[in-house]
Amino acid sequence: MHASDPEMALLNARDVFVRRPECTSLWVVLADAIFSKTAQELEEQELGDKGLGDEGVKEESGEVENYYIFYKPKPTGTQTLVGEVPAAAPVEALRLALERFSGDKPPSAWWVLPARRVLVSSPDDIESMFAPAQDKKFRLSTDFHTLTEMRRVKSEFGGQ
Amino acid sequence: MNSSLRHALSQHLLALADDELILGHRDSQWCGMAPLLEEDIAFANLALDEIGHALVWYTLLADLAGEDHYIYPDRLVYFRQIADFRNVQLVELPNGDWAFSMLRQYLFDTYETVYLAAAVGSAHQPLAEAAAKIRLEEIYHYRHTSAWVRRLGLGSVESQRRLQAALDKIWPYTGQLFALSPGDEFLVSAGYLPPSTILSSTWKDQVVPFLLDCGLQVPVESGDEDTQTGRFHPPLSRERHTPHLKVLLRELQSVPRLEPQAVW
Repeated sequence: MHASDPEMALLNARDVFVRRPECTSLWVVLADAIFSKTAQELEEQELGDKGLGDEGVKEESGEVENYYIFYKPKPTGTQTLVGEVPAAAPVEALRLALERFSGDKPPSAWWVLPARRVLVSSPDDIESMFAPAQDKKFRLSTDFHTLTEMRRVKSEFGGQ
Repeated sequence: MNSSLRHALSQHLLALADDELILGHRDSQWCGMAPLLEEDIAFANLALDEIGHALVWYTLLADLAGEDHYIYPDRLVYFRQIADFRNVQLVELPNGDWAFSMLRQYLFDTYETVYLAAAVGSAHQPLAEAAAKIRLEEIYHYRHTSAWVRRLGLGSVESQRRLQAALDKIWPYTGQLFALSPGDEFLVSAGYLPPSTILSSTWKDQVVPFLLDCGLQVPVESGDEDTQTGRFHPPLSRERHTPHLKVLLRELQSVPRLEPQAVW
């Protein structure tokens, strides 16, 4: 999202992303606060080496705090929340995440972000932000038959 | 329900529906032109919500008139003459700049949340149920537009100047939202509606402090003091419209009127 601040991002995200009825919560975090590494980057260089540290991450309190850990199981997948770790910096959080959440098949990419930077919709928001979508018909582009119908009319009437 | 009450209720539902329809159409005109891509999508969705709410009210009106749920709303929207529309002039004004559109939407959303909160307790069950349903979505609309108004008011010198100019222009039109229409007294005495004076004072209690917090100066109240200054006052009757509605309806009704018997 492009937005002036997290609250505006949260409000607009409701319209951009959650017209489908199954959504019950939204999280918003400033892109700069996300520390991300791909499996390829982690293979090529040791975490913590120059070039793989906190570059691009402006957020670091220096104190131990909760970090959310997301990973993408496969290159074609989506980032999924897998847990939290306490850490003093994003690199440390990712190091802990690698130990705890890698499993048998290493994920294709990781996101690490401080929990305090996440703006989460409240359970009280469900009724006004998400529940109304349950009464609306969600239409895919294929549900609109105008193009098909126009092609039929053109072929029937010779493009007139 | 006696005939006076039925007529008053049908006029009230028509006013509710026309307000939503015309404002939804105005909002839809921002599609492709809003200041941010994401806001463009959000405001287009908000426009769709308003038109959806209009359909809820038109459908209640169809029930009351014993008309078809699908055909009657289309007939009302596409084939009525301008003199038969009962929306307030506030919603038919051209969009102006972003500040104007956001402020108008905020003022209307606040009015709606106040009206719907009261209408949930209406003695007319279909009205109460529709109000409960629409109200949930309007709470989000209110949150969205009040967030914009706050940012424009407390943003830059330019954004505040534009917002103040919008408020100065829009404010006189807000009185029409709470003006009594013929037959409203029947609806109030039957417990179908709360008195508009209560709605008006609740609305002002919310809106005025908020606008002041946003760094705006709220124009003087409509009334005698304004008459003395010669300020413009829109008529309170919903039967009178600005020339802008004619232009809007010409566009809105153009396609169905090309072939009224067409089946879509």
